[in-house]
Amino acid sequence: MSTTLVARRRRGRLVWRNTMLGWSFLLPNFVGFAVLTLVPVALLFYYAFTSWDVFGGAQWSGLDNFRQMIHDASFWTALKNTVYYTVFHIPLTLAASLLLALLLNRKLRGVAFFRTVAFFPYITSIVAIAQVWNILFSPDYGPINDILRAIGIHHPPGWTVSGTWAMPAVIIVGTWREMGYYMLLFLAGLQTIPQQLYEAARVDGANARQRFMAVTLPGLRPTTFFVTVMLTIGSFKIFDLILVMTQGGPGQSTLVLSQYIYQKGFSENQFGYASALSIVLFAICFVVTVIQFLINKRREA
Amino acid sequence: MKRSIAVVLGTAATAISLILAGCGGGSASPSSSSGPVTITLAGWSLSTTPEFQTLADGFHAANPDVTVQVKEYDATNYDTQMIADLAAKKAPDIYVQKNLKNFYTYQNGKQLVDVSDVAAKLGDKVGGLSDYQVDGKTWAIPYRQDSWVLFYNKDLFAKAGVPAPDGSWTWDEYVTASEQLTTKLKAAGAKAVGDYQHLWQSTVQAFALAQTPGASLQSGDFAYLKPYYERSLALQNAGAQPKLGTVTTNKLTYQAEFGKQQAAMMVMGTWYIATLLSQQASGDADTFQWGLAPAPQFDKSTTGTSAKPVTFGDPTGLGINPNIDKSKLAAAKAFLEYAAGEQGAKALAGIGITPADTAAVTDSFFALKGMPTDDLSKFTFATHDTKPENPVSKYTAGLQNILNDLHTAVLSGSKNTDDAINQAQQRAKNEVLNK
Repeated sequence: MSTTLVARRRRGRLVWRNTMLGWSFLLPNFVGFAVLTLVPVALLFYYAFTSWDVFGGAQWSGLDNFRQMIHDASFWTALKNTVYYTVFHIPLTLAASLLLALLLNRKLRGVAFFRTVAFFPYITSIVAIAQVWNILFSPDYGPINDILRAIGIHHPPGWTVSGTWAMPAVIIVGTWREMGYYMLLFLAGLQTIPQQLYEAARVDGANARQRFMAVTLPGLRPTTFFVTVMLTIGSFKIFDLILVMTQGGPGQSTLVLSQYIYQKGFSENQFGYASALSIVLFAICFVVTVIQFLINKRREA
Repeated sequence: MKRSIAVVLGTAATAISLILAGCGGGSASPSSSSGPVTITLAGWSLSTTPEFQTLADGFHAANPDVTVQVKEYDATNYDTQMIADLAAKKAPDIYVQKNLKNFYTYQNGKQLVDVSDVAAKLGDKVGGLSDYQVDGKTWAIPYRQDSWVLFYNKDLFAKAGVPAPDGSWTWDEYVTASEQLTTKLKAAGAKAVGDYQHLWQSTVQAFALAQTPGASLQSGDFAYLKPYYERSLALQNAGAQPKLGTVTTNKLTYQAEFGKQQAAMMVMGTWYIATLLSQQASGDADTFQWGLAPAPQFDKSTTGTSAKPVTFGDPTGLGINPNIDKSKLAAAKAFLEYAAGEQGAKALAGIGITPADTAAVTDSFFALKGMPTDDLSKFTFATHDTKPENPVSKYTAGLQNILNDLHTAVLSGSKNTDDAINQAQQRAKNEVLNK
């Protein structure tokens, strides 16, 4: 009787000790995370239901912000533009980075050099990128339109200063900038595919296309899934590139959600409404990611 | 809160009356019996914007008991940082109203001390004071008031043989002159064009708002913008003015366009005078003869040197943080009075900055090396009816964002003027004015 009690007490002390030890290891990181991320995010959900303009208290306004959003034409424009960017940016970047990875996965001279070059855009300052691309895209003086004119296109697009072509221009730069990073992920993925599978396929008489479809693509599926999820979230919250390249213009032709949030929050000081918009952006990212996880799971099963 | 403000104001009134009793020439210590005081002042880009330190030093020289410490902020994120600091109660005692667009946010957010007593002492010589008045009280004191004028390159006008501005121009005459300049300068072998219009929406919209009779931002009726945009588009299409697309993609700067003689005329705020002087001295700008003329007018009724040309410009003001220590309030108010008054004006003019009281400093301003000496330039600097670019209201920030979209859509040619104006009016009604 007394021995079991002692043993239980001893075990209890051990559990407690281990719990505290675990917490103490977690704590330094968790405190920072809680103070800088968790609390602000929790507050965001509260502010979304208030009309808050920085100074003074936040007034509870219920669903007013969301009702306002339904009738807010600019919000719908921003949402439409965000979807426009996402729908083109994801497949383009996916295809371009996979192609690059396949090209640079071979044994060829200077492969390390080319891999580095492909990675350069990703580590270059985004402001510099925007500046240089803007000059390249300049409708009257830019080299891109010079080339287009030289090959017989008499009225080349106005790119970043035209309402219709500004978004394609941003998508091109976005794809160019990010493909190097995802190429790196695909390269790592390609290394994990066992060489024997290719040999077996070759023995079975599969040609290059068949080997790609039957061995490479299935072997890359975990990587492709990860890349798609990252790309989706990244595309929905695209902000910096738009801000430095077009500032949402001309007019509202490249206004995206996160920039609209910034504008409402930090330039018009409607922090309540901006919080509500952020929640919508969060919900979109969340739902799309959950759908992707579900599809991935079904395929795995 | 109310009571504590009343107490603060009460103390302030006592302190001010003490100063007034104690000082004959305005140089006695405003800190009454409390000994040396240090007050803090917000500023930005201190290395290239010497005005804050100049005012701080000048005030300290006149009032050795009070030290003014300048706290630096980032120029482009000034308002965001200041709002955050005020909300956290960490902001300096005196902070600058960098533009009128955000004044409403501060005033409505109860982040400014009533400084009507300082305003009463300054009288009506200080330009832009009325812009800071809400409900009959004054909430900030302007210390500089830039106005938009026409800068022109006398050498290029002579080379083209086009008559220089004489103060009688309306916008139509400006357009004609710019087109003539472009053709004739090209014939003379110069690469300059007639005029340069910087990418800001104010270069078109603020003139339209200030000059068109009956125009109002808050009415939500933006039809008054149309003739101004038609003229800009005509100039762009005639090649007399670089297109907005070129300005944004090639990152043209107005300093280089006018200073390097790429354009013969440019409307710009008077702050550019100081820049042009220093760039001509350092060689960053070419050396050429230039002059100031009143901004082109809406119609003939305000042209000529017997009339007062209408232009625009937002004052830059100083406000007091309500969170200031009570013992420092009197010193802070004395600093505001100094900065906006004649002494401050002279100190600012000495470094080429346009103070709020322009009449007091015209002579010393034009004594600066490199300044033009003709009468029209002096008239332009001293005489103007300057309307606010951002009339104070709760809708201003939202409406200006909508109008900026209109600006880029029209000048890039993405939308025609009528459609863009219609859309902006719809948006104003549904997104801003309904709140």
